[in-house]
Amino acid sequence: MGASLRLAAAVVATLTLALAATAPAFERSGDRKVLVFAGRQEVPTIDPSVKYDWSIRMAQQSLYDALVKYVGNPPQIVPWLAERWESTPDAKTWTFHLVKNARFHNGDPVTAEAVRFSFARTLKLNQGPAWMLSDFLKEDGIKVLDDSTIQFNLSQPYAPFLSFLPWWYVMNGKQVLASEQGGDLGQKWLTTNAAGSGPFKIKRWEQGVLYELEAVDNYWKGWPSKDHVGGVIYKIVREAGAQRAALLRGEADIVEGLSTDDFDQVAKMPGIVVPNFPGMTTFGIKMNTQKGPTKDPNFRKAVCYAFDYDALVKIYNGHAVLETSPFPNATRGHVAVPGIYRQDLAKAKEFLAKSASPNGGVELEYVYVQGLEEERKLGLVLIDNLQKLNITVKMVPLIWPNMVARGSKPDTSPDMMAVFTTPVSTDPDAVAYQYHKNSWGKYYGSSFYANDDVWALIDRARTTPRWEERAPLYAEIQKRIAADAPEIFGMLMNRRWAMRDHVKGFQFSPVRFTGEVDLYPLAIVAK
Amino acid sequence: MLGYVARRLALLGLMLFGLLCITFAISHVVPGDPARLAAGPDATASMVETIRAEYGLDQPLSVQFWRYVRGIASGDLGRSLRTRETVGSDLLRYFPNTFELVTGAMLIAVGLGVPLGILAAVYRDTWVDHLTRVVSVSGVAIPAFWLGLMLQLLLALDWGLLPLGGRLGLMQAPPAPITRLLVVDALLRGQWATVADAFAHALLPMVTLCFPALASILRVNRAEMIETLRQDYIVNARAQGISDVRIVGRYALKNAMVPTLAMIGLRYGWMLGGTVLVETVFDWPGIGLYAVSSAVSSDFQPIMGVTLLLGLNFMLANFLVDLAYGWLDPRTREAGAA
Repeated sequence: MGASLRLAAAVVATLTLALAATAPAFERSGDRKVLVFAGRQEVPTIDPSVKYDWSIRMAQQSLYDALVKYVGNPPQIVPWLAERWESTPDAKTWTFHLVKNARFHNGDPVTAEAVRFSFARTLKLNQGPAWMLSDFLKEDGIKVLDDSTIQFNLSQPYAPFLSFLPWWYVMNGKQVLASEQGGDLGQKWLTTNAAGSGPFKIKRWEQGVLYELEAVDNYWKGWPSKDHVGGVIYKIVREAGAQRAALLRGEADIVEGLSTDDFDQVAKMPGIVVPNFPGMTTFGIKMNTQKGPTKDPNFRKAVCYAFDYDALVKIYNGHAVLETSPFPNATRGHVAVPGIYRQDLAKAKEFLAKSASPNGGVELEYVYVQGLEEERKLGLVLIDNLQKLNITVKMVPLIWPNMVARGSKPDTSPDMMAVFTTPVSTDPDAVAYQYHKNSWGKYYGSSFYANDDVWALIDRARTTPRWEERAPLYAEIQKRIAADAPEIFGMLMNRRWAMRDHVKGFQFSPVRFTGEVDLYPLAIVAK
Repeated sequence: MLGYVARRLALLGLMLFGLLCITFAISHVVPGDPARLAAGPDATASMVETIRAEYGLDQPLSVQFWRYVRGIASGDLGRSLRTRETVGSDLLRYFPNTFELVTGAMLIAVGLGVPLGILAAVYRDTWVDHLTRVVSVSGVAIPAFWLGLMLQLLLALDWGLLPLGGRLGLMQAPPAPITRLLVVDALLRGQWATVADAFAHALLPMVTLCFPALASILRVNRAEMIETLRQDYIVNARAQGISDVRIVGRYALKNAMVPTLAMIGLRYGWMLGGTVLVETVFDWPGIGLYAVSSAVSSDFQPIMGVTLLLGLNFMLANFLVDLAYGWLDPRTREAGAA
């Protein structure tokens, strides 16, 4: 299906652009203006304790509130259900004071007990966001001091604690437990129902087809604009060609996930705008540091110096910036590593000469996601670049589950694997930990990077409370990882959406996942 | 005849069990860790183990297989890691959509294919025959997804006559389920606007899907009609001065339709399992899309559930065809008994 379908879609794309007509877009439900978001990904569950990805989190963020929220670019953590907070100097005890006027959709007040229940539920189920805090927070460490004060006592200092809280949504415990089936802590019910206090509530939930949210009129936090959307329909449109057609025909107000060329083309259409922002998603080519020719650091450095980095930006038509460190630019504590790898054939040959394969003569396997055109093109760039070192490259497209399986063990992990990674928080620990031994087996740990000193630094940095002490540690971590060259540090692709120009209030924050939009500030201003 | 039916039913049961074994084996030898994928990219080892235990994936394969067989015997097809629902309830949600799509497509294919086949046979080697040949060759040669995209482009985007995709308009609420067949439910509840909207949304995917079947029906029916029209009893009827319309409609069509009907039955079973591309292009929420979404998530229980359902459909279609042959031709029953 893949290649030929995409080819046909490309033909349609070209033709549709010629045929495109302006259209009114957005739907009306009574006096409400309903925004239509055409996305390719389903929302199989909205249970905040169970799972998250970009489409799931977009729904969760709309239906639920958290103690704090990420807003803006660069991302800032702002008070939300918590109006203020304080922590002890050792970063072990965190106390949050809740706003008094927050209400769940059923009218119940949002209390400290609801916060306790929500955190305890996520920890108990041990799914979804549980990994962010489970090493440091136990159920008995959560204390309700009074109706509007909650305290978290961590088992050891954990400086990034606050940076993960925007993704820990608060549920109405009474509602959840009333819907419990067979001791499932409401899992079955919360798959397609919400017990939140967010700016939207569920109106329709047609699994696999569309999801309709309705704005809460008396949302406790208020609305940022009088023209705020009255509702949102998230419609699943699985083909990029159909997404684009829906946008041009006025059947969708926002689409995500178009190809680089398509975004460039629709940006020129009247009535359509394409926000374009540097994101936090890194693209790297992970090299297996545990076996094969790439086990040799000098060989890896040779590969890093042979690679044409400018090609990365060209493939994205200039809508990308090169990485200057293993950490994305928007990560706190990011430093531009001096002498980060750029194409230099003389240096590449110099390092190759020091390696176990001084004359090349080896074949490397490059594994990438089947159907991702950009990754395929990068494979061709690799073939061309490494040919100069007498290294051949075998391109192997795999579907994502098979890639994850290959990258889960050092013995099966390919020599080179193309990987996009989006950190879940702006704290440097979220990226640094990808290079920790505990990340071996995860897709972003497929290089099986090993450096005891770096691991010790990572452990120390995450438990050091004061930023002034943490910052130099992360600077050192970035330099050391770069020096070990476990991957070709690639680029940060820009995030883009295509939307009708009557959609206003779009706020970009790079910490959100690809495709994810904060629906709360959106407004529709019809001409 | 009863013995023949019993033998066929026993064979059907064996085939179903064989299919079950094969799908289970294939699902469990392909690479991929469904628990890890379900737990998410950042999940710790303990989180992955939680999922593995919850879904019984930590058990030996023999235990998993026994549980699966036992579950199927009691109507439980397992749970989807991706949707978190039982496979049975997922199939109940998606299969009626595919059933409606395929049935509608088949009705169009039969409604056009049979008359065109007759016309092609009666006006053999004339421009009518040549025109139907273009239709039948195109039906076989044009890939469904390409045809779907072209129809979308022309009829939906350019001329704006029909919707691009989906099952219903954005603001159109589906009727409360009775049979779970959307059009039937809308009819039963008297929601005429929904019926019209559903038809408008169904037209392009049905036309796209019916095209290959239409081509086959047309060609088979044409060939059978030509063969039948050469028979002595037809020549005799002509000699008696019976009109061509009566000869074709009354005497020739019945005989020519037997192989065509058998082909329609098999084609219907095949179409039920071949809707993936059309469902993808038109965002039709059927089992084809469900199966693909499950496959890319290494979610095995739904894949096995869909395979069993489609396998069962196909076997039932074959079974009915066998019965029809047995009824029409006693020699088949005797051969089976020997």
